[in-house]
Parts: sequence; C-alpha cells; structure tokens
Amino acid sequence: MEKILLQLNVNGQGYELYINPKTLLVEAIRDHIGLTGTKRGCDTVSCGACTVMIDGMSVKSCSVLAAQAEGTRITTIEGLEDNGKLAPIQKAFIDHGAYQCGFCAPGMIMSAQALLNENPDPTEWEIREGIEGNICRCTGYNSIVRAINATAKGKYTEDRS
Amino acid sequence: MINDFNYLRPGTLKEALAMYEEHDDCKVICGGQSLLIVMRQGMIAPENLLDIKRIKELDYIKFDKKEGLRIGATTTHRSIEKSDVVKKNYPVLVSMENKLASIQVRNWGTIGGNIAHADPAGDPAPVLIALKANIKVGSAKGDRTMPLEDFFVDYFETVLTKGELVLEIQVPPPEPKTGAAYQKFNLLESDMGVVAAAASVTLDGNGKCKDARIVLGNAGATPRRVKRAEELLVGKALKESLFAEAGKIASEDCEPVADIHASEEHRRHLLGVLTKRMLKQAWEQAKA
Amino acid sequence: MNKYTVINPHSEFKVINTHVHNIDGIAKVTGRATYTFDVKLPNMLYGKILRSPHPHAKILKIDYSRAMELPGVMGVVTGKEDTLGIKQGIWRRYQDLCDEQVLPVDKVRYIGEPVAAVAAITEEIAEKALDYIDVEYEVLPAVYEPLDAIKKEAPEIHEGFERNINVTRHIEWGDVEAAFEEADYIREDWFKCGGQAHMCMETRAAVSSYTPDGKLTIYHSNQSPYYMQGLMAGVLGMREGDIRVISTYVGGGFGGKFELDGAIFCSAVLSRKLFRPVKIVFTREEDFIATKRRTPMFYYVRTGVKKDGTFCAREAKVFTNGGAYTGMGATALYLTGFFHSFPYRWKAYRYDGYRVYTNTLPSTSMRGFGAPQAMFCSEQQIEWIAADLGLDPIDMRRKNSHHEGYEVPGQATIASCGIDQCYDEIRKWINSKGKLPANRAIGISACGFMSGGIFNWFDTPYSFSSAVVTINQDGTVELYVGAQEIGQGSNTTLAIICAETLGVKIEDIKVHSGDTDHCPPDLGAWGSRQTLMAGNAVKMAAEDAKKQLLEFAYAQSGYNIVYDLDIKDRWVHAIARPERGYDYGELVKKAIRGKDGQKIVGRGYYTPHRKGMISPAYSYMLQGVEVEVDEETGKIKLVDSMTAHDCGQPINHLGLIGQLEGAFSMAAGYGYLEYMPYEDGKLMNPNLVDYKMIRATEMPPANIAEIDTYEPEGPYGAKEAGEGLTNPTAAAIGNALFHRFGIQMKECPIRPEMILNALKEKKEKEKEKKGKK
Repeated sequence: MEKILLQLNVNGQGYELYINPKTLLVEAIRDHIGLTGTKRGCDTVSCGACTVMIDGMSVKSCSVLAAQAEGTRITTIEGLEDNGKLAPIQKAFIDHGAYQCGFCAPGMIMSAQALLNENPDPTEWEIREGIEGNICRCTGYNSIVRAINATAKGKYTEDRS
Repeated sequence: MINDFNYLRPGTLKEALAMYEEHDDCKVICGGQSLLIVMRQGMIAPENLLDIKRIKELDYIKFDKKEGLRIGATTTHRSIEKSDVVKKNYPVLVSMENKLASIQVRNWGTIGGNIAHADPAGDPAPVLIALKANIKVGSAKGDRTMPLEDFFVDYFETVLTKGELVLEIQVPPPEPKTGAAYQKFNLLESDMGVVAAAASVTLDGNGKCKDARIVLGNAGATPRRVKRAEELLVGKALKESLFAEAGKIASEDCEPVADIHASEEHRRHLLGVLTKRMLKQAWEQAKA
Repeated sequence: MNKYTVINPHSEFKVINTHVHNIDGIAKVTGRATYTFDVKLPNMLYGKILRSPHPHAKILKIDYSRAMELPGVMGVVTGKEDTLGIKQGIWRRYQDLCDEQVLPVDKVRYIGEPVAAVAAITEEIAEKALDYIDVEYEVLPAVYEPLDAIKKEAPEIHEGFERNINVTRHIEWGDVEAAFEEADYIREDWFKCGGQAHMCMETRAAVSSYTPDGKLTIYHSNQSPYYMQGLMAGVLGMREGDIRVISTYVGGGFGGKFELDGAIFCSAVLSRKLFRPVKIVFTREEDFIATKRRTPMFYYVRTGVKKDGTFCAREAKVFTNGGAYTGMGATALYLTGFFHSFPYRWKAYRYDGYRVYTNTLPSTSMRGFGAPQAMFCSEQQIEWIAADLGLDPIDMRRKNSHHEGYEVPGQATIASCGIDQCYDEIRKWINSKGKLPANRAIGISACGFMSGGIFNWFDTPYSFSSAVVTINQDGTVELYVGAQEIGQGSNTTLAIICAETLGVKIEDIKVHSGDTDHCPPDLGAWGSRQTLMAGNAVKMAAEDAKKQLLEFAYAQSGYNIVYDLDIKDRWVHAIARPERGYDYGELVKKAIRGKDGQKIVGRGYYTPHRKGMISPAYSYMLQGVEVEVDEETGKIKLVDSMTAHDCGQPINHLGLIGQLEGAFSMAAGYGYLEYMPYEDGKLMNPNLVDYKMIRATEMPPANIAEIDTYEPEGPYGAKEAGEGLTNPTAAAIGNALFHRFGIQMKECPIRPEMILNALKEKKEKEKEKKGKK
C-alpha cells in the first residue's frame, strides 16, 4: 500500500492530507481534518449521520473514499455557519425543535440544505424523500419536515441576524 | 476495517482499461455505494482498486429517436432520475430511480456500478431488461455488446472477464403503444426490494398484445424473465384474468430464497401479485 | 401537516409552556456539540472488544501473546487477569440480581458477550489484534426461548436458578375467583411480543482515563452518570469520589444506557492497566448484538366482563425472555404487570410474571418499560371483547377507566387523570374522518404511564433528585442538576422551571449537568422521572434562592402596607402593586453585597415518600391510528394518527411535541417494523439495512390534543410526556387490522406475512363453517 497525497477543499479551505487511500471521506473529515460535527451512526450507508455536501449535493461521507472527493467542494455542518451567523435551515431546526439528542442533526441538516439547493419549493412528500436517507431515532421526523418547509417558505431569512 | 489496497486512479478511459489489464486482483470502484460496504465487512479485499468515478467520458445520457437511449457507465442514478429525455421517453426508468435507495446514494452511485455489482435485488436491471436494453462492455482489447439479460451469471457475478469494464447501457427507442412498469415490495420506501417485478407490454393495431416482457427482481440469482408468462400473453387480447394467470406462472417460475424478511412461499406470492399488477399498469399505459 | 391543540389551556406563566427553544440548540445544529464519540484526549489509545461466538460456553483459556506481538498493540485485558470478577447489576441492593461480569471470568452466556479487550495506538490495529487472541472454549448446550428454558431438562445458565427462572413478580388485588364468577363473559388469549433495539444514533461509547494518582475520569454516553460512577466504583474496587463521569451530550438513550456496558468497563480496565486514556466506540453491529434490548414477552391474558361491559376481573401470566442477565429486567417484569391493568378499574386483578434466563442478548428497560407489551395484549383483547359483546369500544373503555381520586388497590392513588376528555377528542377525530376508503381502518388504544418510578434498587429506598441554584452578581443563574439530558430536553425543561420560579428569563439560566464532579446526585434519566422529580427539586432550589433574595427586598423596601413581594420577568414588585418595583439585577447586586460577596445558593431535592408502589403521578392517553393495508401483499402504511394526551401542565412546549411525535415513531416501529429474529442464539439482522425503522417517508402526521390537567404532585402541575406514548401504538395498529379484516394479531411486530396468513386462516375457517352448514 502506498499512501497518497490529497488536496481536499472543505468549507472553502484547502487541506493537504497524506493518507492511506482506503481512508473514507468521513474519516478524513473527522479524524484527519478534525471537523467532528459530521457523525457516523452505522457501517452500512444506512443512517445518513455522515451526510455532507459534495458540490452542493448530499452524499454520505462514509460511502466515498476521501480520494474520490479530491477536486470537489465539500461542505460540512461547520461550513453552513458564516462567521457566527447561522444559516436559515439551522435557525429553522432550532425554532421547530427539529432535533433532540442532536446526533443525527448535522447529517440531517446537510440533507435538508442539499434538498433546498436543488428544489427551493419542495412539497411535503419531496421533503420526506429528501431526508429518507437519514435516520432520526428521537423526533419522529415531522418537526424536521416542518423546519424544512418553513425554510423553503422563506420564514428564516438570509440576513443571518 | 477495509483491507489495504493499492489505489489506481486513471484520468481517462484509455488509461483505465490499460491499468485494469495490467493489474491482477483488481476491483473497480465507481460510486462505491455497495462496494465499500462489502469491503468494510472484509468480504472483498482486492490488492488493487481501480477508481473510475472521475472518468467523465463515461458520464453521459444521450437520446436519439433512432438509436434510443445511451447511458454511460459512470452516470449517477440521480442524473438519470432528473434527465428530461429519460422522463419523456422512459418514465419507468425515472420512477424506478426515484425509489432506488436514498438521494445521497443516488447522488454518488452510478448505473454502471449498480449493474456490475449484480445484486439480484438491484432495481435498474429488471426494468432495463424489460425495456430490452443492451450493455456494452469493453477492455483494452476491444468492446462487445450483449443483451443485458445475458450479462448476469450468478449472485454478484457477471460475464465480465479480466480487464473488462461496463461502458454503456443502451435502451432501444420506445415503441409506440408500449407501456412499462416496475414495482418492488419493501417495508420502507428507500429499501431494496424483498422481491420486484418489471413488465412491458406492446400492443398491435388491433389492441392485441404484440410483445410482452416480465422480469423479476430478487427472485433467484439473477434478474429473470418469465418467458412462459410472456408467451401466454403475446397474440392475445389482454384482460385481467390473463394477468392473474401470468402472475401465477411468475410465482412458479422463480427461485426466491427465504430470509428474515420473507419466506420463500411469501416471496413467490408477492412475485405473482407484483407481476399481475405491473402487467396491468403497463397495459393501461400502452392503451393510453 | 400536524395539528396540535390544547384543551383547557392555562396562561398565567411567563416561561412555562411558551415557545422556548431548546437551550442546547446552537451547539447541536452547528456541529459544536461534543459527544463521547467525538472526544479525543492526548496520548489516547483505542480499544476493541473480542466477543463470544458461542451462546453458551466455558472459557478455558485465553492466550493473547500473539496479539501482543503486533506492532502498536499496547495491552490486552481479560476477566480473569484484570478484573475483580465482581458480579454487578443495576439492582445493587439485591445481591442475587447482580449477575453480570462485564468481562466474564469463566463463562459466556450469549453470542457477542465480551471475552477480552485490547488497546492499541489505532482503532484498526486494535481490531486486527482481536484475530490474534486465541480463546479455548468448552461449548455448552444452550437454550433461547423462555418456554424452553423453564423445562426441567434445559441447560442451567446461572448456578442456583432453578428452571432458569431469574425473577418472579406477583401483583394481586380483590377476590379474583369471585370476580370472574360475576362475569357474564370470559375471554382468554396468548400473545407474543417481540424485542426491540434501542438503536440510539450514538452507539455505546466511552473514553476512560486513569491517572497515577488513582483517579479515573470517564467520558461516557449514558442516561445516569450517577449510576455509572457507583457501578464503576463497585466493579473496580475504587471509591466513588475517585471516579468522575462526564456525559455532556448523549446521542440517545431510550432506556438502554443506564447500565454498565462493555465500552465503559473495558476502556476503564484497559486504562487502569496502561495509564493512558482509552477510547472504545461500539460499531453498529456491536450495539445491536451486545448491549441490551426491549424484553420479549409471552403473555397469557384472561379477562371477565359483564354483559354491559363492566370489567370484573383480569388474570395475566407472563414469561419474558430475560436473555443472559438481569439488567433492568426485574423492573420491566413488575411494570408490565402493573400497566397491564391500566387505565382501568378492575375489581380484582392478578398478575404472575416470570423472567427467564436464556442464552440470548439480555433484555432490559426500554422506553415504555414493559408497558408497550402489556398494552399490545390488553388493548387488543379489550377491543375483541367489545366486538364479542356488541359494545362500543370507546364507551366500554370509558365506563371502566381510572378517574381522579381512584385508588389502584395497594398500588397507587390517581390524583389527576384526563382520560375522560381523551375519549371525547379521539371520538371527534374519528367522526371527522367520515367514511374511510375500503383499504383503511382506524384502531384505537388507551394507556397510562408513570411519572417517575418511586423505586430505587441502587442505594436508597426511594428514587430521588436534587438541584442547586446559584445566582451570580449580574443576576445570571447557574443551575446544577444530576438529571441527565439525553435529547429528551430535560436541561431545557428544568431551565424553564428555574426561570419561571425565580422570575427571570430563560436566557439567564445556564444548566450544568452530566458531570459527577460538579452536579448533585440524581438517579438520572429513566422511568419518566425527570420532569416531575428533578423538576420539583429545581423548583425547590429556585424557591430557596428566591426567598433569600426577597429577604433583602423585604428588608430594604419601605412599604408601609400589607404586601407580598414577587419577581416576575426580572421585575421585583409588590404583588398587589405590580407597577411599583425595580429591576431584579439591582436586587441581586445589593443582596450579594450584603452577603459579603457570597453567591446566593439555593438547594432543592425531591423524593417520593408515601406515594404508592410505583409512581407519584400518572399520565394518560388515548391514541387513534389510521392504517392502510394492501390486502394482497400484507403491507401496512400508517396514514394518519391522533393522540389525546394528559401530561398535566405542559412545561416545555417544543419539547413536549417532540417527545410525543418521537415516542409515536418508535412505538409504530415496534408495532409493525422492528423485528429481532434469532437463530441459534444469533441475531439475524444486526445492521440498519435489515433492521427496519420508521423513516421520514413512513411517518404519518402525529396530531396531538393536549389535555391540560393539574397534577398536585408535579412541579406546576406537570407529569411525564416522553415515555408513555411508546405504549399504545402496536395495539392500535392491531385494532385497525381487526376492524378492517376481522383478524386478530397476537404477535408483534405485525409483519406482512403474518397478516396474509391470518387472512388465509380466516378464509379457511369461513369455508369450513359454510361446509358444515
């Protein structure tokens, strides 16, 4: 096995990693770069806790080799916030109590944000489909659906105040 | 834990084929949505891993009224799901893709990877076979094209030989008076099918069945056509009792395996029900 | 998408039941919340656990010399060499129920049980090292089902437990035989209720750090740092004060995280041996096969009623699959028997429960604590009885329900009970639906639940909570609680109670929890106890602090009238003249100056003396579920739901909705999806591909009508809300199937194949009947 040199762009910041090529993207993000907001909840690409955005699309970072993400723009939960100001979707999650233990929240929020990126006005069913890859054991999902819906309806503005 | 491997990352198809030819004990990764799971479980531990995810030459959806549809192997499921030409000409492919796993998986997983993985519960193969799709595979030595139904050999096994990659899926142009439908039985919307059935029906000028295909998913080692039931339908004026009969044949002409999700008997029953329903749906579309 | 209404709302509060955001929101939506899973300490090692492949075997020899040769491996521990071999259990005051060595010394009793643990410089090396540990076993005959394990010839799992019976429980009141005599109609049924995985999103995880001064610090994902500290001290032979347990953010609990697990125990034993921090995180598979689960139960129910629907007598016999160890199973065995009587007035009632050891994953508490199983059986049988007698099932339930002031003989007194209004709300909802499509039906189910178990088998005779409130010079408040936040929102609920009581704003409160070094003792998060018990403790502490503040206010105010002072919304004022007053901050500053700079400190505690056998208060609920069934495939889809719910005075508005919706999703999963099949002691689906749970696409609307009652024992009249709603849904789904098809589902989860088989059986029976005619 030969280690490889990787350039990853995470939240707009370039990182140079020299790693075993079998390193998963989630491992690169958590263990090598040190962004622990992204979680892991399974080993079977089932739970969605590790969801990040790659070029604006939701992807489970446990299902991708770090090397495969080279040359893309990776966004993690830490990258949604702008200098202490929360993104609308984050405000919506707080305002609707759309998390409880919070362990699924980072991945859930990334799925929600990716959904809104490509479909700014989703139906309730489209919202549910947009997060069906994410398990939440606590909330029963409906508060999450309400939060995403309210964000889409413009209730939480970009002014980031 | 994934075993260590030597990572090969070609930039072009040509490079990929050359590398694949050159390396023994080499596995191909594209979207890796299934592969990385089995590698993590230690079920596959190749010495070399050839990553074709970034080969843009194979990332395309082309449609031509004469040639039909051609989808490159590294095209993601999500691209197919969102493609306007696919939506217009092969709506069954879009609805199938829409129910394939979760958005995250469809965003990164590819059609070529799915087909090459050859999981008998995979969604695309039964639908594509019902649409009479061909598959083009190739190595450094050259290409070959075959009906997709001939591609699968056994559980997770295909006809691909050393150095050969899946290159393209080809679907013939849609015939007039044709309908196609696909449904899987699952407990969760995003699940793989416990079993699945795809059907296509083409009617002639008199409204009789000119052609029919029935393909079962997760009903044995490979996606399988139910030719006995197809023959039953061709040439006949279709009606619901025929679909029920075809369903009964489907439940007989299959080899589903019991697991915790369903017994063999239940699977056979479900295959019969789904076959009946999909034929009816396809027929209704064909009539419309 | 969801309707939430409040019946009889109160609105005199400033903070309680207002739209307060969860106080850890920012941390959780930005990725800042640091779970045990995220903890990384300097010089830290990673541990992995070698697990038994056998359901029942003697450990003859463990040779780890080959593992030690692997570069990067720092140490291996085994039960025999590195532990005191102490048998522990959460029922610490009852020696015979302390039966589990987390690292067994000489015998394993289920597949997945820890056998040895290894620490290495990376997780990967640790995992690899497991392959180099050689264990010699003598495989013993095993038994997996309780009804097999109680047979005379069954293998003995624990020495001295005849017929593998681990615990028995008996509840009885009234003259059962006489009451059955009075009945016009008697019905008996057998049921089989499945297990369920807690499936916390954060798997079991611990980081232990033992230092040369003999102190041990443990980061651990759990529901009760207090228990962990006590249990760890016991098994390690240490003083409790030398152990600090930190559990800041916990990724879910649901009843599965307040016993010692392999992660905390093995990491601590490794750390003590190696003097370096050791982190162990379970894989999802380990979390499935080697933690604990909801107790599977075989239920026999016999019920006698009068023609007019008056309940006379009930008798129940239960055999539970206890798995290999006791855990919290003894409590679940009692509670299932108690709640099986709920929410009805039985003239006579008898329950006999037998918890049976088997060579499977131990069973324990899980959200609902025995009640979901009890209600699955009870609420379906009641529906069938109503049908058998041609009575309206809602009217029949209502006629027999608990009411305020009712005494469950020898067990409990019901001080508040809103179930009567629940019936009205559900009836309204059903009527609003009109005629349903042919493939749909509605099923209902009632239940009640405890609001804090009064019992404690750990150290004191009764359960207890405590809280400390300190007020800083600027008026900000530090609230120290031993209650544990696991996502249920307890920190927010307690902050709300504190803010309301002190008369300050929610943002003035900072909550300290999840740290045994800094928080007062409290049994933690289980048995729906925190809102009521910790809530009362917080209220008392806040009142204590407030009283000290007001003493200064009284002393310095020059009012020459009869007056009472109060603080509300940071405004110190005479109650009779609220417009006359001054800022709370000013008062605090003066008061603290008067105390020579000492902080104001308030203390509070709660313990439920003389509050019956179970709980000081009970919540009530009635649920209706609209179910769609595909008759040809047996597939179930939940279309809609409505829950009428009495939790007393709601405290945390957002938290309450979240708890009710979340409990419903878990309960629905128990009803028709979450299935734990074993073959030869091996769990067949220890992963999230094959273990099915409700996802967003399966979740129906969860409408709620909150019946606002006043519970005199609860803080501001509040009762539990997080757990009870796990109970009714499986039965409601079964009842919908009964109404749609006339089939009786006696096993849960109700899977498609069972529905088709029941339909087939029914058709055959009908055919037989016709043939006979």
